[in-house]
This record gives sequence, structure tokens and C-alpha cells, in this order.
Amino acid sequence: MRQVSILGIGSTAFGRHAGTSIETLAVQAAAQALADADVARDEIGALYLGNFISGPLNGQEVLAGMVADRLGLPNIPCTKVEGACASGGIAFRHAVLAIASGQCDAALVVGAETMTHASGAEVTAALNCAMDNRSDGVSGLTFPGLFGMAWRIHAARYGTTRRQVSAVIRKNKSNGLRNPLAQMGAELTDDVIEQSPMICDPLQLYDCCPVSDGAAALVLVARDRARRSGRLPVDVLASVQTRGASRIAGHADLCSFDATVSAASRAYEMAGIRPQDVNLVELHDCFSIAEIVDSEDLGLIPRGQGAAWAAEGRTSVSGDIPINPSGGLLAKGHPVGATGVAQIHEAVLQLRGMHTNQVKNAEIAMTHNLGGTGIACTVNILRRGNA
Amino acid sequence: MSDATTIPALRCTACGTLDPGPREICAACLSSGLEPVHVEGEGSLVAWTMIRRAPKNFRDEAPYAVCVVELDTAGLRVTGRLLDPAKDLPIGIRVHAIERRNGYSIFEGKSA
Repeated sequence: MRQVSILGIGSTAFGRHAGTSIETLAVQAAAQALADADVARDEIGALYLGNFISGPLNGQEVLAGMVADRLGLPNIPCTKVEGACASGGIAFRHAVLAIASGQCDAALVVGAETMTHASGAEVTAALNCAMDNRSDGVSGLTFPGLFGMAWRIHAARYGTTRRQVSAVIRKNKSNGLRNPLAQMGAELTDDVIEQSPMICDPLQLYDCCPVSDGAAALVLVARDRARRSGRLPVDVLASVQTRGASRIAGHADLCSFDATVSAASRAYEMAGIRPQDVNLVELHDCFSIAEIVDSEDLGLIPRGQGAAWAAEGRTSVSGDIPINPSGGLLAKGHPVGATGVAQIHEAVLQLRGMHTNQVKNAEIAMTHNLGGTGIACTVNILRRGNA
Repeated sequence: MSDATTIPALRCTACGTLDPGPREICAACLSSGLEPVHVEGEGSLVAWTMIRRAPKNFRDEAPYAVCVVELDTAGLRVTGRLLDPAKDLPIGIRVHAIERRNGYSIFEGKSA
């Protein structure tokens, strides 16, 4: 298998893009990535687009081919992939495979979603498509509900407190304030968080990521092509995709996701690194408690200590393991299908040394994208390449 | 066993594996011989939460408590509802099914 590098990145801001269509956002991000890579359109041999709910919310499918057409790309295979919130990460991995296997020398990855035009109930119902609806869905369970239950278990098992979980929110919202692409950066106090409306006990409003519009894109090339470009590439050391239980009740432990644990361990092995070699991680904090569970599942923080590390500042941009310097899903926003691609966009900025929340001497970054009730997961390990 | 206090499940006629379903074939032995059975609605509370923002088809019912219960029978885990939980209802307590509704059971906590 050939080695793969990321040569170009592009992204719209995340937030509200009222009146702009999903394909327009996707084209904007993709055009930026192509220009950034300085790769000609006729070099692109495949397009993979991650999207989750454009069908129910926009009445628009076949986005992959549409975006290629608008970009004036040649007649190449264009594939939309869906894996709920992990759609973007899965699209990325398939592009990596297409290049690694020699099917093409360059590929375009796009992630896109528009959600803010729909009502809260419509969005909740559309997101619930990511559940096993003949098993979990019938009881009226929601995604915040799943993480409310995870929090309850974490608290009972490890003594995790409201204030500790709030430290995750305060950090990510503060990071988001300095990220020009972020939707909802803020300096929050514990009081404001604790007084926000209850969503699914003990989850409150600020524990949940916002509903967002946005798109992100990447140009991937074979590593020898990247070395010839004269630009600073980012090398893909590992790109792993796993499956977890399809039902909430099917998880052996609701406070850990098997798909994340297995994806991380395979990724470390594939990259030939250890968790302590990771300089920063962009992980799937769809809810505050999710960041704590994910950081433990990824082996970055000892089991049960995720909340304490957050409260002690050890996950800040200058901490022992910087988590979500972008602001994460909580502050940057979560246009579902775009998220996995956007996490890699953020990681590339860090590895280029160009992030507004730069982690000092960042050389190795990890991204983690989790879909549905833990049914799909992707973990990537990226390293700064040589020009 | 009455239907209200039991949980519908599937038993493989070939290997005996129990599963809460829905399932088309036995995941253990691939047999298509799955027979509907009812198991005791007794178990322990794995976790619960109170849903205050519900999807549109459940809007009229909110707020309501959902739960995951581990049944005593074969350690089967099911998603259901919890009857009027106290704010600090501890996880791990004993629960039993008291009613069957559209595809799910309602459980009640037993005081220790």
C-alpha cells in the first residue's frame, strides 16, 4: 500500500448560513482545498463526500456528483458516504484507501451539512435516523439521552461532578472564541452553565453542541506527489474505521464505546506510536461528557480521570494533552457530515504551525469521529511531513 | 406470565441463544429459526435519564424517563421507560416491568 499525504485544506465558517445551499457550501470548501493544494482538477481521480441528513432536511441527495459537476472535475467516481456523525471521517478513510491502493494519485474529500433552517424537533427527528429505530428508538430515547445516561454512570463510578464536566465546556468555548471558523465561542462561568435549561438530566443546554451549517474539504495525494509539490504536506500515519454495537442496549458498558477503543488501538499500532506521542487531539465532543469518555477510550487519559484532567487544565492548549484546541463540536459547531473532515482540517493547521490556538511544536495529531450510538468510528493519526 | 410484566424476546430453536430483537437470524449460529418468547421483566437499572426535549413524535409525552435495564434472564439488555423516578434514583437498583406499550416496557424501581 502506498503512503498518503494531505496537501490542501478548505473550510467554510461553521454556524448559520441562512439561504446558502448545502452544495454551495461544499463547493466553496472544495475550491479552497484545491487552490491550497495547487493540484490541477484533472489530477483528481476520486471524490468522497460525507453527509448524513441532506435527504430528510434538504430533500437533496446525490451530492457527491453534484459537487464534482459544479467544480468542473473530470468524469471520476464520486461517492457519498453515510455513517451518521462519522460520515466525514469515513469519507476521508475511503479517499486514503483509493490512493493507497493505487486506484488514483489524488482525491478530494468533502464533508457538508446544513441544519439551522430546520426546526429543533425536525433536527432531533432527523438525527434520530442514526439510531436503531425499531429497538432503541421506540422508547423515545434521544442522543442527548444516551450521553445523559453515560454521565450518570461516569458520576456513579468515578465521582465525576458537574463542575468538572463544566471545565470541558469552559475550555472548548474559550478555544472557540479564538477560532475564526467557530460558531459559538464564549467565556462562560460555572454559574451560567449551571443555570442553563436541563435537556436530559444531568445534561444541560451548554453540555450540548449547537446545530450548525458548514462544509470542509481536503485534497489527498500519494506521498511522492506531495514531496514533489514543494509544499509542506501532512502525512497520514493511520486511518482506521471500526463498528460498534448497533443498539444502545447492546453496549457492554454505556460509559465507553468499543468502536473508539478498538479504532484507537489499531491506529496506534498502524502508526507505530504510543498515546503519549500524540501532541494534540480533535475528538468527538458532541456533548461535554463525550469528551471525557472519548479521551479515556482513546487511551490519552487514564480511565476515570478524564473529568479531573479537564478540571486541572491538563487538556488546555498548553496542557499535557491538548484536547479540541479548535473549540471542538461544542464551540466550533457540528454540521454533522462535515465534522470528521473539519477535524482533520484543524489538525493540519496545527501541524503546519498556523493555528490561532497553536499547540507548541505540534508534530503528531489525532482525530476521532464517532457516529450514531457508537456504531461507527474513525481514528486518524497525522504527522507533519517534510517539504 | 402476563404480557404486561414480561419482555418479548427471540430464542434460537437451534442453539438456544436469547436476544431482545429485532433480529432476522441468530447472530450466534445463523439459524433462521427464531421463536418469540417472553422473559421475566425483572432486572437491574443500568442507567436512566429524563428526556425534556423530545423528538416530534414523542413531544406530547415529554418529559419522560428512559432507561436501560439488564434483565436477570441471560443478562439481556433492553431500552425502556422508567416510572416517575426520584431525582436521585441510584443506578444499579432492582427494577421490574409493570406495563407494555408500543414496543417498549415501563419499569418501576423497587425500594431497597
